Amino acid sequence: MHYAFMLLTEAHGKALLRAAAIPTPLSYELRSLDEVRACAVGFPVAVKAQVSSGGRGKAGGIRKAASAFELEDAFRSIMDMTFAGERPQSVLAESWLDIARELYLAVTIDGRAGGFSVLYSPRGGVDIEDGPPPLNYPIGLARNFRAHEFRKLLEGVERDVKLRERIISTARRLLDVASNHECLTVEINPLVVLKDGSLVAGDAKIVLDDAAAFRKSATAAAIAASREMADREIRRCADANLMLVWLDGEIGLISGGAGMTMAAMDAIDGAGSEPACFLDVSGNPTPAGFSLAFDLLDRALRVKGILISMFGGGLHTDRVAKTLIDILKTRSSTKPVVLRLNGTSSDRATEILRGAGYHNHATLEAAVADIVKRVGRAA
Amino acid sequence: MSILLDASARVLIVGITGKFGTFSVKDLAQSDTKVVAGIAFGRDGQAIDNVPVFSSVGKAIAETGANAALIYVPAAGALDAVLETIEAGCPLIAYPGDGLPVLDAMEMRTSALRAGAHLVGPNSPGLISPGKAKLGFMPSFCYAPGPIAVISRSGSLSYEACFRLSSAGLGQTSVIGIGGDPVRGVNAAEAIALFHDDPQTRAIVYLGEIGGSEEYALADYAQRPDAKPSAALLVGRTAPAGKKMGHAAAMIGSYAESWAAKIDALDRAGVVIARDLDGLAGAAASALSRAMESAA
Repeated sequence: MHYAFMLLTEAHGKALLRAAAIPTPLSYELRSLDEVRACAVGFPVAVKAQVSSGGRGKAGGIRKAASAFELEDAFRSIMDMTFAGERPQSVLAESWLDIARELYLAVTIDGRAGGFSVLYSPRGGVDIEDGPPPLNYPIGLARNFRAHEFRKLLEGVERDVKLRERIISTARRLLDVASNHECLTVEINPLVVLKDGSLVAGDAKIVLDDAAAFRKSATAAAIAASREMADREIRRCADANLMLVWLDGEIGLISGGAGMTMAAMDAIDGAGSEPACFLDVSGNPTPAGFSLAFDLLDRALRVKGILISMFGGGLHTDRVAKTLIDILKTRSSTKPVVLRLNGTSSDRATEILRGAGYHNHATLEAAVADIVKRVGRAA
Repeated sequence: MSILLDASARVLIVGITGKFGTFSVKDLAQSDTKVVAGIAFGRDGQAIDNVPVFSSVGKAIAETGANAALIYVPAAGALDAVLETIEAGCPLIAYPGDGLPVLDAMEMRTSALRAGAHLVGPNSPGLISPGKAKLGFMPSFCYAPGPIAVISRSGSLSYEACFRLSSAGLGQTSVIGIGGDPVRGVNAAEAIALFHDDPQTRAIVYLGEIGGSEEYALADYAQRPDAKPSAALLVGRTAPAGKKMGHAAAMIGSYAESWAAKIDALDRAGVVIARDLDGLAGAAASALSRAMESAA
């Protein structure tokens, strides 16, 4: 099962931070108007949509409320919004912070570090991506973290000695969270410096490693919850071991393997059209897998034609050819279909397809040119 | 020559009785690779296609002289199997499986480095030195011996890319799948260093993608005055940011992880760029001709 990625809500993430003794603002997670009315928070508060996608601040998902009336108003309007297709399940009402500075501190997986890296920027906040890249302390395994190494790096960007030491101890706690809960990212942005110099986590972005679900029941539960939230088509694909990402174009692409599927997407672009999807059926190249793929693409209004491109390594393309013919015979859609089966047993695949009246293209490029031409004609 | 794997390979298959194990016993034999032992718990003394089966990697190595391991066990048992194989003294290990927790990949990588062993994977088809030996499940018909090194993050892309290179007369010294996960055994920088030291490798072809930062290792290398000429194809030019494209590591999270940023860095470093798969053989030939010119 594969979903986009397992980003926890801020409320969930902050609970993990608090459990690791990282200070967070006083906050209440509110799911209903009854809870809003019973909430005994001191005003003003920040009212924040709880969703598992980024960019909610810029999308209007964070409001300030100075009274019980404003809190209720903010709750109603935020709960009515959607963020990247997702409706908030709750809001977080959180004490308004007396901010002196905003920092950025994160632990993330970095391939070139062979594991974890600690990232720090003295200028955190919503525009972190527009600034210079953060300081990177590559460590690999969490146990390789050395305060003195990190201190040496921080000395170049942070003059305040007390603040530096607080950042170092917070970084070590973030590593504990990342190791103990098997996370791919544990990010605090902003890490707020209060007027008294203490640090508070203004936000929490925690991404769990879904591969660890077999030994982390909390991760398994988070995956199950995200399955409920997922788009129905994505869920059908995940359950059938197909990988689907919808794109904006018009060519429905069915391919095998992540790398070759991206290569085919790029080839469609190179031929002057755009792919409608990334759809990798290599996890289930069976009648059931291909039938599901056709069903999705035939129903999708945006898809004007379908390209099937498979390169057989372990996969026997003659078997794929038979499967495809069975599907094409009974299919009611009139969207054009172009086929390209190369590799293992492709001579037999070509014969089988020809017998049923279909042409097997010899190369990806020829197949792409053909489908782009046919879709252009259909338009 | 080749890197890590040659005709002296004596292969041990961990999980030899499983679906992939039984396939590989036959497949490797057809690819001129000696399979000398298999591991399956509780099946000591049995044989699969005349290959003796053991319960312990240490015993298998002691009795058969195995020096390369192909590990087919599910992700939940992979770390234990890889650690046992490293600690039994096996110098070369391929772990092709996907869905491995990143913490386990980190432990595997660290243990292999400490032992001086080379780990290929996770989430990779393995390693092949065409005409010599194969440690993985890639389709052998795609490969031919020759002077080109291939490093790939994607299995499927490497099969078709190598098929096209071989068809164009551009054979390979070795083809290594460094895998689609963010943390790996042999990484791009280490693979490049191995190929740099291989006298028969004349040019390096790198097959990369969006997400992560492995491609910058090639950009760093290509700027060295003694670098071998290289060509690169990166896929995912049309992939949107913030979406995982199949591989765990194939997601654009920042500008540096985008196709444009990586291509720009590689281009400025002097790497020959193939914009599409269609242009790969031409780019590889151009890198190889640069190598020939500088040798002349």
